[in-house]
Amino acid sequence: MSVLARSVGNAFRNKIRTAAVVAVLAVAIGLALAMLVANQAVGAKVQELNASVGTTLTVNPAGGQGFEGGGEPLTTAEAETAASVANVTSVVGTKALRLQTTTDSTTGSTQQAGPGGGFGPGGQQATVSTNLTAAVDAGTLGNRNNTSGTTGATGTTTQPARTLPITATGIGAEVDSTGKALNITSGTGLGDYTASEAKALVGTSLAEKNNLAVGSTFTIQDKTYTVAGIFDAGTTFGNNAVYVTLPEAQTLAETPDELSTMIVTVNSMENVDSTKTAVQDALGTEKADVTQGQRNLETAVSSLDSVKNISLIAFIAALATAGIIILLIMVMLVRERRREIGVLKAIGARNRTIGLQFVLESLVLVALGSVVGAVIASLASGGIASALISSNTTTTAATTSQRGGGLSGAMPNGAVPGGGTGGGFPGGGMGGGQGGPFGGASQLLTSVTASVSPGVLAAGIAAVFAVAIIGALVPALLTARIRPIEVLRGE
Amino acid sequence: MIVVKDLVRQFKSGDRTIKPVNGVSFELEKGSLASIVGKSGSGKSTLLSLLGALDKPTSGDVVVDGVSLAGLPDGKLTEYRRRDIGFVFQQFNLIPNLSAVDNVMLPMEFAGVRKAARLQRAKELLEQVQLDPEKHSRRTNRLSGGEQQRVAIARALANEPKLILADEPTGNLDEHTGEHIIELLSSLSRDHNTTVLVVTHDRSLAQKTERCFRLQQGRLTEEVRTGSRR
Repeated sequence: MSVLARSVGNAFRNKIRTAAVVAVLAVAIGLALAMLVANQAVGAKVQELNASVGTTLTVNPAGGQGFEGGGEPLTTAEAETAASVANVTSVVGTKALRLQTTTDSTTGSTQQAGPGGGFGPGGQQATVSTNLTAAVDAGTLGNRNNTSGTTGATGTTTQPARTLPITATGIGAEVDSTGKALNITSGTGLGDYTASEAKALVGTSLAEKNNLAVGSTFTIQDKTYTVAGIFDAGTTFGNNAVYVTLPEAQTLAETPDELSTMIVTVNSMENVDSTKTAVQDALGTEKADVTQGQRNLETAVSSLDSVKNISLIAFIAALATAGIIILLIMVMLVRERRREIGVLKAIGARNRTIGLQFVLESLVLVALGSVVGAVIASLASGGIASALISSNTTTTAATTSQRGGGLSGAMPNGAVPGGGTGGGFPGGGMGGGQGGPFGGASQLLTSVTASVSPGVLAAGIAAVFAVAIIGALVPALLTARIRPIEVLRGE
Repeated sequence: MIVVKDLVRQFKSGDRTIKPVNGVSFELEKGSLASIVGKSGSGKSTLLSLLGALDKPTSGDVVVDGVSLAGLPDGKLTEYRRRDIGFVFQQFNLIPNLSAVDNVMLPMEFAGVRKAARLQRAKELLEQVQLDPEKHSRRTNRLSGGEQQRVAIARALANEPKLILADEPTGNLDEHTGEHIIELLSSLSRDHNTTVLVVTHDRSLAQKTERCFRLQQGRLTEEVRTGSRR
């Protein structure tokens, strides 16, 4: 019989006590694991919030956003000015283009279309031709937009029936028009986003509609582009889009040096406010409008952060509890088995053999506790996470969704050539600053789902075992102090 | 050969100092069978624990084959107990939740004997002490006192020790089995050159040993025999 077998045997020596110990351990371990899972879920969400909208500022030309308003366009020089402001980690310029399917387009020529001219407003958006077909049907909204688009100052007569335009955006980094990292589902990115290259990233639905795969080609303005990758934006509107490198889009629009928007990423949440002012000052109020979309998210993120901290503290506390339970149980067992330890020493067992036997015995108890605890955690973690989130963020989430809804409603939908998707905002113009984060905030907050991932569970159980070993080490070291003469106690 | 030199063990009990072993000296030749008799509380068990390195003397020394136990560190004393000593305790001190075989295998496990060899030897030893084969795998807390006594003796013999220290080894056995155990111990001393030191109340057992010591108030005197048992 080996030390391990003896330890397992000892763990089950008193079955009722073992059951009780395992039950208590399971509660502590289950709580610890549930807290860890909640912590990871909230942490991932906070990271996602921070990464997507938390620290980005959107710079639009003063007096204009997307295809609304007027003013002077932003230039690359202004992007450099913004980049030199303190705490700015990156400035990504975008250049929005509208692609019109060739067969339906009146001409193949580039148009700097103003409101009412051609396919609706678009001071920032150049319209160019393509052989791609939009993945979105015009529907009621698209046709209405089309009609309202033509009732401009020039009063152009009725356009022929046409498909919807496709949004193409030149980007200076692998982010979408709102500054969020692109989720490329197949293929690769564009490599160097600051170089002109005939490669493009295509949205999933657009690729499907046009039978494009990685390596396929299509044309924009009679130039052939190769599909380098296919991305999933997560929305129907977002997937009906093409991304090319910034210089490429500038060339296509025949407006080199011009930017539709700049996405400024700030190094940390705390610096967003001050950096916003600094960027605004650096660019001048007459040149640029700096907007910050995550104001309300800031409170949301900070409350999520506190949830994260609470769950971390609870995890550590539950872990420590498990350790203390093990410590006390093992101290009790060592005291109870003093004489037996004396016997083992009398017949020649080394201190470390006896210590190991007790540590292994505690691990057997912890292993049983972990199994039951993991079951408890998998059942309870979802409930615990949502309880933590709802108690801490109810107010924030409510206000966020109200404001989000309000903003969506306020948008002049009829003027937006977006199609029947209900997405409302074409990527190029309004994106990152307001639409996305506002609408997404409540969704992001409520979508903190604590799914028990095997990795997190394994890490948690590893932590439990580490604590158990530490807890068992003290009693195991106590066994070394028991003298073999204990064997004669009572004789 | 065991040489005991002026061995003293004293305890403090309140204000009093008690000396259950007070200046004991004797020599035992290798392979001899000796007994110690004395009243309860005369210090027999304490003397045995000093000889078996379960306890350390206040002063004096035990020299086993030229090696002084007083100078040995704890690790070496553990090795000494494992390799050179076989204990038979008055209260058996078996591990209750292990089977008879497992109990006998324990000292061999500590000595690093391979599992198959351990099992083989443990079974042989249990047969030598006449434990029913069907009881070999029974947990020792389900064995009778006499059976436990025999398992304890088998365990003491497991590592073929040089010195067997037995505290009342026949105390719980019927006359017949007791006779057998005495015969087993004397054959060990005779055939395997094992030194056997037995503490007993049993006059008949004491009669059968080569040498007999009497412990009184911590002091040891040898009873002079008229004739040898052999």
